[in-house]
Amino acid sequence: MREAYIVTSVRTPGCKMGKGAFKDTRPEDLLTFILNTAIEKTPNLSKKDVDDIMVGCCFPEAEQGLNIGRIVGQMAGFPVEVPGATINRFCSSGLEAICQAALRVMAGWAEITIGGGVESMSMVPMGGNMPRPHPEYTRTHPELYIAMGVTAENVAKKYKIPRQAQDEFAFHSHMKAAEARRKNLFTESIPTPAVRYVLSDNDTYKKEMFIQDFDDGIREETSLDALAKLKSAFSVKGTVTAGNSSQTTDGAAASVIVSETKVKELDLKPIAKLKSYAIVGCRPEEMGVGPKYAIPKVLKLAGLGISDIGVFEINEAFASQALYCVKALDIDIKKVNIHGGAIALGHPLGCTGAKLCSTLLANMIQTGSKYGIESMCIGGGMGAAALFELCE
Amino acid sequence: MVRKIRKTAVIGAGVMGGGIAAHLASAGIKTLLLDIVPLDLDEKKKNDHSERNKLVRSGFEAVLKSRPPLLMDQKDAELITLGNLEDDFEKLAECDWIVEVVIERLGVKQDLFRRIEKVRKSDAIVSTNTSGLTLRDLSEGLSKEFKQYFLGTHFFNPVRYMRLLEIISGEETLPEVIEFVCDFGERILGKGIVLAKDTPNFIGNRIGVQQIIMAMQLMHEKGLSVSEVDSLFGPVLGRPKTALFKTCDLVGLDTLAHVATNTYELVKNDEQKDTFKLPVFINKMIEKKLLGNKTGAGFYRSEWIDGQRVFKVIDLNNFEYQKVRESQFECLTKAGNADTLPEKIKAVVYGKDNGARFAWRVVATSLIYAASRIPEIADSIVEIDNAMKWGYNFQLGPFETWDAIGVEKSVNKMEEEGFSVPDKVHKMLQDGSRSFYKTENGKIFFYDFDTNNYKEQKVSESIISIAALKAMDKTVKTCKSASLVDLGDNVFCCEFHTKMNAINKEIVDFLEESLDFTDKNGAGLVIGNQAAISPGAFSAGGDLRLMGDMARQKNFDEIEQFIKNAQGVMQKSRYAAFPVVAAPYGLTLGGGCEICLGAADKMVAHAELYMGLVEIGVGLLPAGGGCLNLWKKFIRHVPEPVQGLDFAKFFAPVFRNIAMAKVSSSAVHARSLGFLGPEDRIVFNIDYLIGEAKKEVLRMVDAGYSPPVKRALKVFGDAAQGVIHMELNNMLSAGYISEYDEFLAKRIGYVISGGEMRVDGEIEEEIILKLEREAFVDFWKEPKTQARVEHMLKTGKPLRN
Repeated sequence: MREAYIVTSVRTPGCKMGKGAFKDTRPEDLLTFILNTAIEKTPNLSKKDVDDIMVGCCFPEAEQGLNIGRIVGQMAGFPVEVPGATINRFCSSGLEAICQAALRVMAGWAEITIGGGVESMSMVPMGGNMPRPHPEYTRTHPELYIAMGVTAENVAKKYKIPRQAQDEFAFHSHMKAAEARRKNLFTESIPTPAVRYVLSDNDTYKKEMFIQDFDDGIREETSLDALAKLKSAFSVKGTVTAGNSSQTTDGAAASVIVSETKVKELDLKPIAKLKSYAIVGCRPEEMGVGPKYAIPKVLKLAGLGISDIGVFEINEAFASQALYCVKALDIDIKKVNIHGGAIALGHPLGCTGAKLCSTLLANMIQTGSKYGIESMCIGGGMGAAALFELCE
Repeated sequence: MVRKIRKTAVIGAGVMGGGIAAHLASAGIKTLLLDIVPLDLDEKKKNDHSERNKLVRSGFEAVLKSRPPLLMDQKDAELITLGNLEDDFEKLAECDWIVEVVIERLGVKQDLFRRIEKVRKSDAIVSTNTSGLTLRDLSEGLSKEFKQYFLGTHFFNPVRYMRLLEIISGEETLPEVIEFVCDFGERILGKGIVLAKDTPNFIGNRIGVQQIIMAMQLMHEKGLSVSEVDSLFGPVLGRPKTALFKTCDLVGLDTLAHVATNTYELVKNDEQKDTFKLPVFINKMIEKKLLGNKTGAGFYRSEWIDGQRVFKVIDLNNFEYQKVRESQFECLTKAGNADTLPEKIKAVVYGKDNGARFAWRVVATSLIYAASRIPEIADSIVEIDNAMKWGYNFQLGPFETWDAIGVEKSVNKMEEEGFSVPDKVHKMLQDGSRSFYKTENGKIFFYDFDTNNYKEQKVSESIISIAALKAMDKTVKTCKSASLVDLGDNVFCCEFHTKMNAINKEIVDFLEESLDFTDKNGAGLVIGNQAAISPGAFSAGGDLRLMGDMARQKNFDEIEQFIKNAQGVMQKSRYAAFPVVAAPYGLTLGGGCEICLGAADKMVAHAELYMGLVEIGVGLLPAGGGCLNLWKKFIRHVPEPVQGLDFAKFFAPVFRNIAMAKVSSSAVHARSLGFLGPEDRIVFNIDYLIGEAKKEVLRMVDAGYSPPVKRALKVFGDAAQGVIHMELNNMLSAGYISEYDEFLAKRIGYVISGGEMRVDGEIEEEIILKLEREAFVDFWKEPKTQARVEHMLKTGKPLRN
């Protein structure tokens, strides 16, 4: 197969659901902006050259329904000939979109594709607007639809991840993110236009545009004491709290994937290439353990070992599951989520896979790591992992 | 001019001020709450607005945090604006009623009134909530115009829950002002109004505190313990469970001491002045900061021993706490066996043991004291009785108590023992009047010391007393559990009168007879009753003992027949050719709630309403149409052109209300839970409830009542099952519910959603009723349900199994 090069990978800031900067900004607008930015940041690339736009979305309905992949391509000004698709694999949707887009290039079926992700949790609730689990099947298998917080408790309980370890993990996530923000290390994050409704001079509400240039969920002032005081959020006497869980967030991200031929033709400087992608199923009631199985599988495909990997982005859906996976695989925690994870920066569901790709690539450049892995746990019981290799 | 209260101000954000502001807000009145700027602000903080409002804000926050809540709906906190007495004083000019509730210091209050005088609107009412100072002193030096609008409005703590509002006229207060505030207090704030005179501590606290301190002095003499006194002065005398000393702990010993000392210093010509002298132990306890609940220890203290809460009581000899021992007085055993309250009281005051003799001394002294205070503190016995009933939660006031134990008999005993009985009481007996109250033709008359004759007790026209109507032979039909009473104007009232108004077979049958009777003879029906004490119970639910017995004997057919019959009566009532209005108040649970939802066209509810379908707590479900009618209540108001609604959004709260046994903490809360709909009304004064329900019936008759048409009903269908299985699995995994709860809840969801039916399908009401019935009988067959019922009957508490 051919190689698929990622030449540009960018994201919007992640902003808190319901009260953050993007609460009134439509997901199409976030995505349109980040697609255009990706195109602009790729020299010599014109929109008509793109073969397909694949967008990951966790709950593709309402504002982000009606095939947002196609809608946004048109809103962003791509010619009608450029198609678009919505990809769903729950929390790994964004990564799935990038990998499917890359596969098309690797197969020789496309030269230039865009993979990305979007989620406005403010506008479309987790679970969707109209969940309808199957009446008979749920009688015997309700766990297939289990609440994510409960799975985090299950993991904490079964694999004995104590409260204190979860809180410490969460604390470090915030501290790492705060430091990275201070040092302007989020080079992949692009100041993004957003809207809010303000009372105008004539006493009616008007939409007002502003630029959001930081992740608004980072709690620089938090402390272990403050985290220890929080009540368990999902269970009687549980250990999983709002503080050691990922934040619910709005955001969008996009990556431009190009074949070797086109890299040369357009004189592009690729960042990295996608080496391999693996997905494994696991028990739905402990879906958080997914990365434990997906990471070895993706390494095996590439013939590498854990120690070959310089940096990891393992989505912090919950401290309990992230910490468990890191420990179970004996990963050096210093290599994991070096600028903080979803506990501080947010988990905009279908966007996260695409967002973490941009973060991972930026971190690989910063640390000079040859190999980097991105991995996600997935509702319903799955794990996904992708291996990237930095270009010289 | 028609006076209106558009906006009020409450000055002083302490416990009382905060409570008054909260209650005004609950009644829907915009209220400005003010307190002083903190005195200790440094130069920097002096200009900080938030620092300047610190005191008022902390008072307001205490209101928001109060348990039980002072606000009926937290949302009403929006009606309260905060400010301080320097920056916001001018805003008083916008207020129609200004209530002063600042510290009990004459000078401070006088200064404040002088400032208010300059800014108030010319017809604004100004009142003081003082408990110990006189209006005469407070208004000294103020203009005549001010004094005309100045009066005392003495609320009791906690303001939301204590009914008493003492209203005190100053010498120059305009009669129309007093009249207005009386009506406003009664109708809008729901208070029980007592007109008091401008004497120290007015009526409630003068009589109440005299008795408490006197009992304390005497108990020492007689060698009784704190818990012994409380065993005598609680429910056996028709008084609250908190009896004497637990009430002191609630009020706070410092407050009690303040009132007593204040009275002692201020009263003139009070032959019992010395009964306000604090016993030494009170001062010692205050020194030791044993002030009651506010300091965690008073006469009682609760301790945690091995994870159990144990109440301990103080030993006044050494101020140490020991376990509460049950009192061993013979009179208490005798009272326990008596059926009625007067019998119980007689058993205590005429008993022979040490405890009985003590109770007699206290009660006798207190009765004499009350009689001697007329006309000094009140015009008649009625004010004193009402004050003690509404302000101290006594079931009987002093003069009603006197009637209960027999006036002549007790006076003879008093004389024999050297009590000095007031001449006016002797005179009454000499004239042949044997009791302080009598009922004639349904009207209540009281003995008036002023004219030495009986006078009719006047109540507001909006008040209908079922008891009075029954005394006037207005009972149309009756049985052991219920009666049908003629409210006049062709409106009848079906009244339950079982214990806690629990619904049994007899009530169901009687309700049906009442419907038949009204159909033939009446214009409409009210389903309502009245309780002697607040908050009382419209109905605590179905009679579990009755059905429990049937279940034990495996008479499941009989259970089904009973519930089928109940459903039939509900439906018959709902679709009757005349309007039916339910008048719930206080506890309205299970079957009581089902009657309101299912049998009536609308509800006229008292503001203090604790409503819910709590059957799951005893392993059951609402099967008297409760599932059907709560669902109907939720979807009934969707306009017809609205199509394709997501019924999950309606289903979820209905399911939660029933499966989680939600109970409202007020009528507004019941509205936000969905038990009350837009057609239902909330009334603040509980005495108005039956009258307002009757008016509602007549309004519906006037408007040309036509019964609702029974039509097929949209249901969520089996799409609900998937949602329920998912949610219950989450709750079970997280440990929020037991496996049996899950079992029950699944079936409840099945019933509400119409069983096996396509999503958004339409079915006949009877199908849901059938599903209710089947589930009900199946649940009764479960050993765990039977265990829950048994536990509830034994302990009064739900069992989680």
